[in-house]
Amino acid sequence: VKVALVGQPNSGKSTLFNAVAGYRSLTSNFAGTTVEYTQGEARIDGHVLDVIDLPGLYSLTPTTAVEEVSRDYLLGGQWDVIVNVVDTSQLARSLELTLELLDLESPMVVCLNMMDEAARKGMTVATGELEAALGVPVVEAIGGRGRGIRDLFQKAQEVAASNERAHPFIYAPEAEAIIEELAGNLPRAEPASAGKQESGGSADDRSKLIAESGGAATTSESAWRGARGEGGVEPPHSKANGAVSALRAISCPAGHCPGACCSEAAPVSNLKSQSSNLKSQSSNFKSQISNLKSQDSSGHSPLKVFPPARFQALQLLQSDPHRNAAEDSPKSEVRGPKRNDALPVEPGNPGPVPGDLKSQICDLKFQISAPEPGSGYSGIQNSESISCLADSGPRTPDARLASVGPRTSDSGPSFVDWARMEIAVRTGQPADAAISAARHAACLTLFERVAQVARAHTDWREYLDRAAMHPIWGYAVLAGVFLGFFRLIFDVGKLGEARILNLFDALTALLARHMNAQGAAYAATKGAVLGTAGAVAIVLPYLLPFLVGLAILEDIGYLSRVGYLMDAAMHRLGLHGTATLPILVGYGCSVPAVMATRILSSRRDRFIAAFLAVLVPCSARMTVIFALVGFYLGANYALGIYALNIIVVGVAGHVLARLWPEVSPGMLMEVPAYRVPAPRVVALKTWWRLREFVLVAFPLLVAGSVVLSLVDYYGWQHGINAVLSPLTALLGLPRSTGLTLIFGVLRKELSLLMLMQALGTTHVLGVMSAAQILIFTLFVAFYLPCMATLASMLRELGWRLTLGASAALLLVAVVVSLAARGVALIL
Amino acid sequence: MRDTESFASPINLYEACDEAELRILLITGGWEVRRSFNQLGIQPGDRVRVLRRAPFGGPLMIDNQGTRVAVGKQMAEKIRVEVLP
Repeated sequence: VKVALVGQPNSGKSTLFNAVAGYRSLTSNFAGTTVEYTQGEARIDGHVLDVIDLPGLYSLTPTTAVEEVSRDYLLGGQWDVIVNVVDTSQLARSLELTLELLDLESPMVVCLNMMDEAARKGMTVATGELEAALGVPVVEAIGGRGRGIRDLFQKAQEVAASNERAHPFIYAPEAEAIIEELAGNLPRAEPASAGKQESGGSADDRSKLIAESGGAATTSESAWRGARGEGGVEPPHSKANGAVSALRAISCPAGHCPGACCSEAAPVSNLKSQSSNLKSQSSNFKSQISNLKSQDSSGHSPLKVFPPARFQALQLLQSDPHRNAAEDSPKSEVRGPKRNDALPVEPGNPGPVPGDLKSQICDLKFQISAPEPGSGYSGIQNSESISCLADSGPRTPDARLASVGPRTSDSGPSFVDWARMEIAVRTGQPADAAISAARHAACLTLFERVAQVARAHTDWREYLDRAAMHPIWGYAVLAGVFLGFFRLIFDVGKLGEARILNLFDALTALLARHMNAQGAAYAATKGAVLGTAGAVAIVLPYLLPFLVGLAILEDIGYLSRVGYLMDAAMHRLGLHGTATLPILVGYGCSVPAVMATRILSSRRDRFIAAFLAVLVPCSARMTVIFALVGFYLGANYALGIYALNIIVVGVAGHVLARLWPEVSPGMLMEVPAYRVPAPRVVALKTWWRLREFVLVAFPLLVAGSVVLSLVDYYGWQHGINAVLSPLTALLGLPRSTGLTLIFGVLRKELSLLMLMQALGTTHVLGVMSAAQILIFTLFVAFYLPCMATLASMLRELGWRLTLGASAALLLVAVVVSLAARGVALIL
Repeated sequence: MRDTESFASPINLYEACDEAELRILLITGGWEVRRSFNQLGIQPGDRVRVLRRAPFGGPLMIDNQGTRVAVGKQMAEKIRVEVLP
């Protein structure tokens, strides 16, 4: 049985996953920790479940590449049951995804996770009532403490076994009519489960069919004409003039609310003040539920198509109407059909409509209209109604005309366009906005019904935020955290390095006494010992405290706050605050950092953020910085390199932003609540990251050392060093360091180990001058990323940008090292 | 009293004072902007509060039903709000 964990970012999917499948998926306290799906096995009551931990997604209409990963997986249909993980403390918002998932009409269980967090906020949830309203099982859990997890997966298994499908969330009948019309006209695509790559294929088919349904195209055309009063045949499905009721229909859950419903249904956050309306809505809910139940009989029948036609129709309605198909990455074709059904442009067409026409119209209406008493807005006196001004509002013929006006010339009308327009005309807002407003309203109503929220009291978190996010002290705290963090790592690491190194020195001496110092075997053994020494004595003492510290920082929830503080500065780099997260992840390791850029929505932002994240010294380069510069020249020099790095990052970002200008859309990022890191989780997480070092890096370091010893023994290094001698000469480094730089591309720590070996000592300062150590470290810190990083850059950015980035990094490294050499010469 | 105040001319979110109770009237901007806000559960009609703001044209931190969201200046300027009494 395949269980897919789906939920909004930072709702604890990975924590649940790790609880049943062992620690395999990294967890932290910020949105977007998981950017790829992880698969694991869980044993519940002797049954083996395949559990898939998907990256968080806010909705099934993604705006970022991370969400696309999840969406594509879900629509691939290669799972048996959905476990919708919900952060209970954010229940109202999280339900929006839940309702969307119901539309998939598949076996599903809702997990109310983080019940403790909700309780802290003074929230109580009537689980039974929620269960009844959603029509799927709801299980409470506290993932962090392992509570309710067994029940959850048992339930998931039961649901999967009985193949009990969820029922779609039903909008108002009039809205459903449009949706159904559209759904009925979608191609009967072959079941998606036939092929995993369904999104490409069926989206194509769909758009083709939409194109082929010439009738649809022409009817929509005439629908427009009809709406504009130019005559033409009224299309059969255009219930155009029942517009007012339809408007209400779509923006309120069940359609038959009293007069002002539309404006009430969408903005419901002021529910408490409008309890009368609430009542009518909750009765709507009941009718909806009974509606659902009446469909029960069809519930067990297998779906003919996956994803269901209704779901597809909704997706199309919510997709970006102005998105150019050519801009789409191949992955995201399902977002909207390609509009290859171009019709001849009407004469008298005003030509391409710039920007978002519909929102302009909204703006227009915003200005021209004031609610008119007695025109269907009875009882609404305030300007709420503006937000969903519609047909019943006073509307100039021009505005009406504009809203159904011809579309851009490159994209002829299609059935989807017709449906979009129909909704837009009826609701006075773009189709996607109308649908999500309806869903939002339904969620808030449901939330009010099932949850009770006591007045939240100010606790330490609030006080902490007041200091940590203060306009002045916030930055002092940030600098303090940053400095303190690295200083602490250095102090702890240095302690370890000195002690363990002595041990290995004794070992090498012992070796020299007992082996024939002339043989290849001795060279190899010595290489192995030195490699082990380097890994254990030099790298590990710094790496371990770093990983522990990083785990704690991530789990507290501070990283998102750094994003908030740095947003203004990031704008100077052509980015915005959200891009801080991948860059901060880069201090740990460049590979996940490059992948974390998926949380950004524009390709250009992703590139710049990835470049800067790679530029930041990762933990491997940190060990080089601390073990060389820190150890021999002092902690201040090491921290100075970090400071210099930040300046270089700033300059590089600034230059890149100039080279590739684009208006950044601005930051919109959830700021998670502070959490006290659980020691167990910190330990597991540290081990999870350390494992990578032990399994991958450690063998590589030892093997590399052995190889280098042999190369040295047979005297092959001269050729390689000769090739690299222009570079080493330029930087004023000993010629023998040339080879070590090549090894550094395999793994950054290798440069350090190789250096010690190439120089034949672990006491570098005797052989290299302080300036040389500094220059060497600077070069290693900035030049080419390691193989693993290059691979992930290739995957995320494509070979062109990767090549460009690598060349730029090399250039930066040479410039910085040369500058350092210049300074050293002057001093 | 309530009526006169609630009809104060709409401002954008960035212009709002800290700690004021606000109601979102409209999210201007295109599909992507609207979508990003909707995803975080921010919709016209919602009540929000500006908790604090970062200096140098930095973002706002707003509270929407207990969810904290950092909203950059450009994004905040795309939201029209009214100040609730």
